[in-house]
Amino acid sequence: MSLTAEHVSFRYDARRESAAEFALHDVSVAVQRGSLTGLLGPNGCGKTTLLRLMAGVLQPGQGSVTLNGGSLREIPRRELARQVAVVPQETHPAFDYTVLEMTLMGRHPHLGLMQLEGPDDIAIAHESLAATGTADLAHRAFATLSGGEKQRVVIASALAQSSSVLLLDEPTASLDLAYQLEVASLLSRLNRDRGVTMVLATHDLNLAAALCDSLVLLRAGRVIAQGPPRDVLTAPLVQQLYNVEADVRFHDAAGHLTVVPIRRAR
Amino acid sequence: MVVVKKRLIVLAALLAMAAGGLKASGYPPPDDGPVSGNLQVSGPRRIVSAVPSLTEMLYAIGAGPQVVGVSSYDEFPSEATKLPRVGGLLDPDVERILSLRPDLVLTYGSQTTLEAQMARAGIKVFSYRHGGIEGILQGLRDLGVATGHAAEGEKTARDLRQKLDAIRTRVRTYARPRVLLVFGRQPQSLQQMYVSGGTGFLNDLLDIAGATNVFADVRRESVQPSQETVLTRAPQVIVEVRANNPPTAAQIAAERRAWAPLASVPAVRSNNIHILTADYYFVPGPRVAMAAEGLARTLHPEAFR
Amino acid sequence: MTISESTLPRVAAPPRPIRTRLAITLAAYGGLAAVTCLLAPLVGSTQISLARVFDRSIPFADNVDAQIFFVARMPRVLSGAVVGAALAAAGVVLQALLRNPLASPFTLGVSAGSALGAILAISFAADAAFGPFSPVPLASLVGAFLAATVVYAMATRPGRAMSTSILLLAGVTLNSFFSALILFVQYMSDFTEAYRTLRWMMGDLDLGSFAPILGVMPLIGGAFVIFAMLPSSLNLLSVGSDIAATRGVDVARTQRLAFISSALATAAAVALAGPIGFVGIVVPHLVRLMTGVDHRIVLPASALFGASFLVGCDLVARTVLAPVEVPVGIVTAMLGGPFFLWLLLRRG
Repeated sequence: MSLTAEHVSFRYDARRESAAEFALHDVSVAVQRGSLTGLLGPNGCGKTTLLRLMAGVLQPGQGSVTLNGGSLREIPRRELARQVAVVPQETHPAFDYTVLEMTLMGRHPHLGLMQLEGPDDIAIAHESLAATGTADLAHRAFATLSGGEKQRVVIASALAQSSSVLLLDEPTASLDLAYQLEVASLLSRLNRDRGVTMVLATHDLNLAAALCDSLVLLRAGRVIAQGPPRDVLTAPLVQQLYNVEADVRFHDAAGHLTVVPIRRAR
Repeated sequence: MVVVKKRLIVLAALLAMAAGGLKASGYPPPDDGPVSGNLQVSGPRRIVSAVPSLTEMLYAIGAGPQVVGVSSYDEFPSEATKLPRVGGLLDPDVERILSLRPDLVLTYGSQTTLEAQMARAGIKVFSYRHGGIEGILQGLRDLGVATGHAAEGEKTARDLRQKLDAIRTRVRTYARPRVLLVFGRQPQSLQQMYVSGGTGFLNDLLDIAGATNVFADVRRESVQPSQETVLTRAPQVIVEVRANNPPTAAQIAAERRAWAPLASVPAVRSNNIHILTADYYFVPGPRVAMAAEGLARTLHPEAFR
Repeated sequence: MTISESTLPRVAAPPRPIRTRLAITLAAYGGLAAVTCLLAPLVGSTQISLARVFDRSIPFADNVDAQIFFVARMPRVLSGAVVGAALAAAGVVLQALLRNPLASPFTLGVSAGSALGAILAISFAADAAFGPFSPVPLASLVGAFLAATVVYAMATRPGRAMSTSILLLAGVTLNSFFSALILFVQYMSDFTEAYRTLRWMMGDLDLGSFAPILGVMPLIGGAFVIFAMLPSSLNLLSVGSDIAATRGVDVARTQRLAFISSALATAAAVALAGPIGFVGIVVPHLVRLMTGVDHRIVLPASALFGASFLVGCDLVARTVLAPVEVPVGIVTAMLGGPFFLWLLLRRG
């Protein structure tokens, strides 16, 4: 299976004419099955937009997004939801759902119109919670959890969709160091053991370096580089991306590239 | 202020209905002026009335020529309708009143702001509240004194009392039906109807006209009964009064049909539902005799052959 | 990379699965509604004898007890049940749509439109009737649809999700604007008409016949058919509209259906009985306290509990100060207001 964006352009306000208003301009990204791809770039570069396009939440103004060759526009909503799941950056339910209720919502694309979830769905939900280490939280109220716990539950809920692709928007943005490690290792494990294809948008370069086998660098709505971290995470490219002089080197103990910012570029 | 053209429902009368339980109180003129004797000389020359029933009283006791301003809701007598309008119960136009340079202003007891403003301007105020038929009679007398027409006031009151007593006597020998007197209702609906309670001039009129009010035991001027209550009280006659727009035959039929669901009510069973249209049912003033007679004729037609 | 992950065993004894919970909830609330509706006509400001009510030997037109039971009380109880269910369900749906537990069926301006229509009809002594509708309910419906159309048109964009913020702003603006118009009309009216409009706004279930209820059943029926389809989508929508979309919910369609169904239910309820407040906020909250927040349970339970609640409030309204009747909207406010304050304090 492959999830591909081909020459995609998108702007939020279609009434404006100038090209400068495009959130994304002629972006092409091919995500291979089983890969862990990172979308990198500064705030406003379009990575969230690209993620939403790849999820089918937005429709590209030009170009197309295809899943296994079929355009997302043509895939029925529920069918798409069974293939692609999304973990948003923040989740603020308006009501006091329990963890299990939140997780079971992931089963929605597998249920008919008025169908209630059955024992199988409940088993899948519990199993997803176990996979993210939150099984013991099942009957807690979601709102009472810590940031890291919430994020893991939302990931579990996306896992319950039993999709082959998982799109994550800044999965570690609001987490402290310990939770960052937890979530990162969880994602790595899910990708490795379950073969879930993942695309994550992040501005945490070290996380991207640790997790991803492929990176896409976006700046101002355009792709400036794509490829494995060793090719793409270089000081010149980091400077081009963030206007920051950084030191990029392989960290033996961590086992991956690290990026340390030194100063703003002149 | 723009004169607001309105249908003929008198605010003051209906305030009395809705508020319930108001007492009559004439307001004697200030004690710095002589009350008897040189009445014609010391009586006020320019009177403004903000209360339609008081306006009618003024004309009845001969003070008509002294009236220079009336309320926006005055429709009787016709001379009054040609005079400048000074607003209503809730929105009296103080500037207008002052511009008419009155030396006596007739107000309703709840218009305390207006009364205070008149006091500040040094203008005498006659403050009045409705209080049944006795209140009307007393009002006529008090107004007579206040306007320098004490004798006429006394006479008008006496004549009115005699007329009412005559009607009462006329129907005395007939059985007194239990009557529901409705003075407000949504068209073609029995919800939220306003009926006369056991106090107030409408109740007094029923009594004079030879009937018993089904809500005589409720010490309020107006009652909003539920349909269940109407069923329980089971009136023998239903009289609906309205101020204007006499209903066509079709409308009467439609309104009678509105009562049809309450089939166990004797008035409905015997089709004893009457709709009376005249503005004097809503003005507790000198024309109550006409209202009493209208009711009496409806309830006891045999007495008037 | 080390993994620090909790490895506690799965918790035993979860709450019952939703199928069971739904069945139990429907049985419980349905039972309560049925009992309330069966007992309410037996109670009132007048004592009636059930034996006499059903005594066939007395012709119906002569049987006062039967008249009280069937003509005065039954339509009242039935309309209380229908209006209570409609307002409570509309409240649940709007709270989900607006993602705000403080929303009510009156938030989006529909009831203000109804009120303006009714008040214009009262003030101008409108005479036009249509079928089972007398002039005031008819005008109320017209006003409701006008308001709903304006709000809907402003907030809907073709093919895209509704803007809930525009929805809210449009509703609030319309509420203010219509309220100002209502005050103006009241001010310009005669005193009786002004008082009558005030009285209408306090709510009145004393219909005296089943005809108006039957008249609004198409609206209520349509609303409830849509209500039946929404709960699962409302769950997802109330977590977030993007997340709902990625789980297969047609967000735009769900939002539109939610708005339309709640507008239909509210318009019908207000046309029937005037704008009775607090039912649409208090009942969903009470139900959530008892059943949790899953809309698949909350929506039907609220409808059933709303019916019981309003029938109960009307019972109080017509007996507590007999023979004077307290308008039912005042009873719901007296019960609902303090409860709501307590809720807010509890959350705070």
